[in-house]
Amino acid sequence: MNFLSLFARNLRRGPYTEPFPFGPPSPTPKRLRGRIAFDAATCEGCLLCEKLCPSGAIKFTRTPEGMTFDCWHPTCVFCGTCEFYCPTKAIHQTNDWHLAHFQSEKFGMTEHGLIPNLVCADCGGKGLNTVPNTAKVRPPLSAEEVVQLRARCPKCRNKFLKSRGKKP
Amino acid sequence: MANSYAILIAVLLFPGGLFALALGLTLKGADRRVAARLQGRVGPPLTQPFFDIVKLGFKRTMVPDTASETVFLAAPLVGTASMLLAVALIPIAGVYNPDPQIGNLLVLLYLLAIPGVALMIAGSASGSPYGAIGFSREMALMLAYEGPIVLVVIAVALRTGLAEGHFPTFSLAEIVHYQQAHGAFVLDPVMWPAAAAFAFFYPANLGIVPFDIPEAETEVLEGPLLEYSGPALALFKIMSALKAVVVLSLGVALFMPLPLTGGVGLAAWVGQQLVLVLIGVTAVRVSRGRMRIDQAFVFFLKWPLLLSAASLAVAAYYTAGGAL
Amino acid sequence: MTVLARLKNLAARSPWLYRINAGSCNGCDVELATTALIPRYDVERLGIQYCGSPRHADIVLITGPLTKHVLEAATRIYAEIPDPKVTVAVGVCPISGGIYRESYAVCAPIDQYFPVDVNIPGCPPRPPAIIEGVAKALEIWRQRL
Ligand code: SF4
Ligand code: SF4
Ligand code: SF4
Repeated sequence: MNFLSLFARNLRRGPYTEPFPFGPPSPTPKRLRGRIAFDAATCEGCLLCEKLCPSGAIKFTRTPEGMTFDCWHPTCVFCGTCEFYCPTKAIHQTNDWHLAHFQSEKFGMTEHGLIPNLVCADCGGKGLNTVPNTAKVRPPLSAEEVVQLRARCPKCRNKFLKSRGKKP
Repeated sequence: MANSYAILIAVLLFPGGLFALALGLTLKGADRRVAARLQGRVGPPLTQPFFDIVKLGFKRTMVPDTASETVFLAAPLVGTASMLLAVALIPIAGVYNPDPQIGNLLVLLYLLAIPGVALMIAGSASGSPYGAIGFSREMALMLAYEGPIVLVVIAVALRTGLAEGHFPTFSLAEIVHYQQAHGAFVLDPVMWPAAAAFAFFYPANLGIVPFDIPEAETEVLEGPLLEYSGPALALFKIMSALKAVVVLSLGVALFMPLPLTGGVGLAAWVGQQLVLVLIGVTAVRVSRGRMRIDQAFVFFLKWPLLLSAASLAVAAYYTAGGAL
Repeated sequence: MTVLARLKNLAARSPWLYRINAGSCNGCDVELATTALIPRYDVERLGIQYCGSPRHADIVLITGPLTKHVLEAATRIYAEIPDPKVTVAVGVCPISGGIYRESYAVCAPIDQYFPVDVNIPGCPPRPPAIIEGVAKALEIWRQRL
């Protein structure tokens, strides 16, 4: 008579159904792997994510303004590889799953970002305004030095680090 | 002439036709809603079967290349027509008495077999292998359940007829009147085996779990209905809604008519059907799995047949003995 | 409102779903089954029923990247579905190819072969996302009746 007690319980307790889509959806788990978010200000420009993405959803392109980032959600498989390997977590997965869209919006389902160009503080040449990779620099850089380093083009960054190494 | 108008109204408006259709669809909606509740879901609105029928009306009917078109399209019409007539044959205690010209219990038994036959024809005419499987399953099931139901009907007829002091009566109106005067048959231990056999018959006839074998969606993709679409499918849905009303009201008329009249009688009749659906169909449907066709066949040849044969013997012995 | 428009409004509340598995890895199909069966996501509230036969379908859910092998069968089944119908691509596979994109063995994206109306990205999409997509498909279905 197990099923009778089940019936009684279900009738007494009422439906388990979530109100969605008529009401708000129930809270989403924090670690759900959903929509990709990209933060251009913290990207190192290492292109690891583009290389490692198994479905080729990420594309970096050089444009006159700098380097653009595009992640096309209709091909991203939400594996999390990009976030896992990203040294600065500039790319990360939000728990936003509201991705269903009409066919007309298909090619607009991208996460877009731009890493702007900069003019080197030393030589006046062109560079990208990326976060410098400072993980292996010994002794660690101070916050001030990081800002100085960031304002330079790649060649001058190398010079800056070398000269810093000789100083003490 | 007035008589034929009355028959026409009985077939098309009340209690057949529109009224029965509305009732059948509402019963189905209630069944779906309560089933959902028993499973802990919200379920569709009560009027969902109406939406389904209207929706099907807007779709296109496709006839498969392999089907024979005339038979394919005629089968649902025949089934629905037979059920329209069948509703008009069954009295509602104290509310409606069918014109004896339309037919009696025996005619009703024949009419009851027609939807099954229509499904078989539909299945074989569609030219689909799944339809053919559905056809063979439907046939096996019909062979199994038709025997017991005939015995049940004869037992009831015998009981009433002999108690009234004449030959077994096949007039449903008379059976209903007898019960209204002497108490319903469900309360009479002599008729319990017959009532039990009937209880097995009606899920089988209505194609409800555990006996929905011919139309098993997950096995044979709804069998005979596989190739139907649009209005033709809607006709089949209407047919099964009407059939639910026919079988339920036959059960009510055979075993539990109430000594009420007028609006109260009608409301009570509808209420009886609702209770029967919720207990006999919904609860069973939600808690049981589907049988295999061989299991169902053996099952029907065992219990309902035994029960109905017993009921016939007991009814005959008891009433004959009582009369002597 | 005319009678016809009113009837159409009623009819729009009864969409029946049919799934075509066009070479899916089964992830999306499991999610579809979950959406259909679990009381928590009861789709019957929307009047939705999953049907076994393409002839009863109103909304077609296509999963999988449409492998070369299944292309012909999928096109034939698609043609069996009576008009009006709405097509929904479930998972990233049918939308773009997803993880199988540019493989020699798949014909993705499926919009080269079927007039897709709604896309539900995800690998696999979670049930509420599927319901959201189906709700979008219902809007189109209402217009198309
Ligand atoms: S989650 Fe996976 S598929 Fe999506 S962008 Fe990142 S690496 Fe590529
Ligand atoms: S997002 Fe992360 S992994 Fe990708 S290029 Fe920027 S820093 Fe490198
Ligand atoms: S989208 Fe992902 S889960 Fe769905 S079929 Fe493709 S690979 Fe499988």
